[in-house]
Amino acid sequence: MNDEVRDSASLTKGAGLVSQFERGSLQRIRLHVLPTKRFKTFAISLFAGVPLQEDTVTETALIPFVLRRGTAQTPETIQFREKLDDLYGAGFGFDVYKRGDSQIIQFRMDVINDKFVSSDTSLLAESLKFVGEVLTDPCLENGSFRQKYVEAEKVTLKKRLEAIVNDKMRYAAERCLEEMCEDEPYRLSALGKLDEIPAITPQSLYNQYEQWLGSASFDLYVVGDTTLDEVTQLVSQVFRIKSGEPSHYQTSARRPSPKKVKTIIEEMEIGQGKLNMGLRVGVNYSDDEYAAALMYNGILGGYPHSKLFINVREKESLAYYAASRFDGHKGLCTIQSGIEIANYNKAVEIIEKQLESMKQGQLSELELSQTKAMISNHLRELQDSAYEMIAYDFNGVLSGNKRSAAQLIEQVQAVQAEDIVRIAQGVQLDTIYFLRDRKEA
Amino acid sequence: MQTLNYPQVQETLYREVLDNGLEVIVLPKEGFNKTYATFSTKYGSIDNHFAAREAAPIKVPDGIAHFLEHKMFEEPEGDIFAKFASQGASANAYTTFDRTVYLFSATEQIDANLETLINFVQNPYFTDENVNKEKGIIEQEINMYKDNADWQVYFGLIDSLYHNHPVHIDIAGTVDSIYRIDKETLYKCYETFYHPSNMVLFVVGGVNAEEVFKLVRNNQSAKSFEPLGEINRYFDEEPASVKLPRKVVKLPVSLPKVMIGFKEKNVGLQGEDLLRQEVTTKLMLETIIGPSSRLYQQLYEEGLISDSFGHEYNSSTGYAFSVIGGDTPDPDALLSALRNAMEKLLQEGIPQETFERAKRKKIGGYLRMLNSPEAIAGEYTRYRFRDSDMFDVLSSYEGCTLADVDSRMREHIDFNQLSVSIVESPTA
Repeated sequence: MNDEVRDSASLTKGAGLVSQFERGSLQRIRLHVLPTKRFKTFAISLFAGVPLQEDTVTETALIPFVLRRGTAQTPETIQFREKLDDLYGAGFGFDVYKRGDSQIIQFRMDVINDKFVSSDTSLLAESLKFVGEVLTDPCLENGSFRQKYVEAEKVTLKKRLEAIVNDKMRYAAERCLEEMCEDEPYRLSALGKLDEIPAITPQSLYNQYEQWLGSASFDLYVVGDTTLDEVTQLVSQVFRIKSGEPSHYQTSARRPSPKKVKTIIEEMEIGQGKLNMGLRVGVNYSDDEYAAALMYNGILGGYPHSKLFINVREKESLAYYAASRFDGHKGLCTIQSGIEIANYNKAVEIIEKQLESMKQGQLSELELSQTKAMISNHLRELQDSAYEMIAYDFNGVLSGNKRSAAQLIEQVQAVQAEDIVRIAQGVQLDTIYFLRDRKEA
Repeated sequence: MQTLNYPQVQETLYREVLDNGLEVIVLPKEGFNKTYATFSTKYGSIDNHFAAREAAPIKVPDGIAHFLEHKMFEEPEGDIFAKFASQGASANAYTTFDRTVYLFSATEQIDANLETLINFVQNPYFTDENVNKEKGIIEQEINMYKDNADWQVYFGLIDSLYHNHPVHIDIAGTVDSIYRIDKETLYKCYETFYHPSNMVLFVVGGVNAEEVFKLVRNNQSAKSFEPLGEINRYFDEEPASVKLPRKVVKLPVSLPKVMIGFKEKNVGLQGEDLLRQEVTTKLMLETIIGPSSRLYQQLYEEGLISDSFGHEYNSSTGYAFSVIGGDTPDPDALLSALRNAMEKLLQEGIPQETFERAKRKKIGGYLRMLNSPEAIAGEYTRYRFRDSDMFDVLSSYEGCTLADVDSRMREHIDFNQLSVSIVESPTA
């Protein structure tokens, strides 16, 4: 079975790649439904995005924390969580992150398909009702959020922001971006700013919530054994969303590159140094050159066959990890590695040499074919996970460029060495950030 | 080839033990693009003292199973990652307390990738030079974990619970122990634990079972292996008591991290009994401190825990312990709140309603796990090496009663068996 999937010649008609989202909209929400019997669950994701802005970032970040404490129907948190357990331990969670210059709140819910359990209610209907209530029918007192929840979640948000430093890899990565984008909204943490938390009141937060409901771009995804008609019907019953049309995402403006590389060295009580670099690629998700930029990152540091892994780790034994990541929404590439502190100069030199070698066109046929195979494989594998399919499709919504996975595979396969060199020549090293041990005073 | 039907979860498994002892299991997933394969040996960080083929027992340096895992990727013709990349597969490996797992996932060239997986794991290539080169890389891996507060609080707990059992030793070993590893010892470990009769190949995804078996049979019949017989693993006697009631490690953290664990007094369970104990204990922990328990809500409202608070249960024939914890502003206040609440539960018992709810949650979580080829392969092999069947987990949850969970709680929650591990800032 599935021979057609293994045969690369018939990629675009392979069984797994023809899955199509059915689209619709209801008031301010765009609906995307993928009917499939492949999973034992229904996967639901609701994305709500607003521009990432200094004056709203903190309150916006706090909204989902308070919404998940209770709804008008289940005002006590314990009832709220019991409800989830009753739905056969439905998974429910939220995330706050930034994509490009947007701040996005995502609610996720996954619940098993009723046919595997003896349930007398439709678990999909119950789950959509639950998400709808969380979003649009929160627990209120005196016309604003319940004070107890707001105060408790202010503490939770504060702890989250303070905890970033606990994970040194993540801390170094965020600090590098913060330094690199100091004049752009992207410098902000998606979780907001510590010093703005204390002033938030239930009323100020509720006002922000109302405004957010009226202005955010909403996308609701459902993947599972259902249809667009069924989902539209259920959503119309349980979402008290405001009337109007769906909002669209703004694509982020390009920034000029600085002339001089910025170097930041920070000290902390740590043993291993964390070396991070930020590069401006000048290409993002909506551009035609996106596939070539993916190839650039793949050859540089996306995989264990890439230049960084081979040269920093395998040849020099300098690090356990040395990799790069491409952020297609912001058009940035970041490099990260954990090294012996004394090896800082050596590691920077080796990494810069790899960047230079790509500008010079030192790309082998093998590197090209391996990287094409890895990216294509990744894009095909996405189709086996409901949430990955949703995330991929949402990239298209966010960037205004709908490119199916099959189309992107074709574009990647068509990339030539000179396309990658052109990307490499446009890449500018912007910031070097090094987190090192604390020197003796 | 044996066909095993699991109608309740709508899955069918195919299984065969080859002449050389290799167990092969295939789980076709209709409509999946991806094939995910794991080739696993029942050999992990705890297997540091052993004998086979009538040789005298040997003790090997800590971290050698993990070192061996790194070194398997090197072949005379170069790095095996490159070969997988050329075939469009992403490959990886990991080492746990009691297994080493090599894996790939791919959407094409499945036959070639399966051959590559089997062949590279069955072809060790260690030289003095390549062994020495790896030491610098693993040293950086160890140093990375030294700065990782979550890892330190977890291993701090196991280290406090166990006097002698090697489960308390970091999987990667220490910088000192890995520098004592040489190619001769690596070969000795390899020849013992990488015999096909100590290994399981699991293939899940868009594959045809019969084709996979044909490929693996042909591959294996072309190779010969020296008979292995029984592997004897030696463990020093482990006292029932914990080693240390409390351990504190200093690292820069925004809030202290605390983990508590109860060490199981009676170990030695195997197969179905071990699986049932694991299921019952997990359900018990979910019931008493899961996110919808009264206790969790109370601690959250008092500001003593955050979303990071959780629990797990780690069990095997030779060791078993629970882990409960997360970030807290006040470790001692959290500990005394947990203790008071647990003592109250021990007196009053678990409410039926809470139990039923936790049970539903566990059943739902198990079914959701079956969407993931990675989780299926990992979990199936883990249970297989304990002589049990992952597909029995569902019926085990279903059959679990309030009385089972209540008596498990009384047996497990014993404050004489408790250790506490804390990571806090140097200035705290």
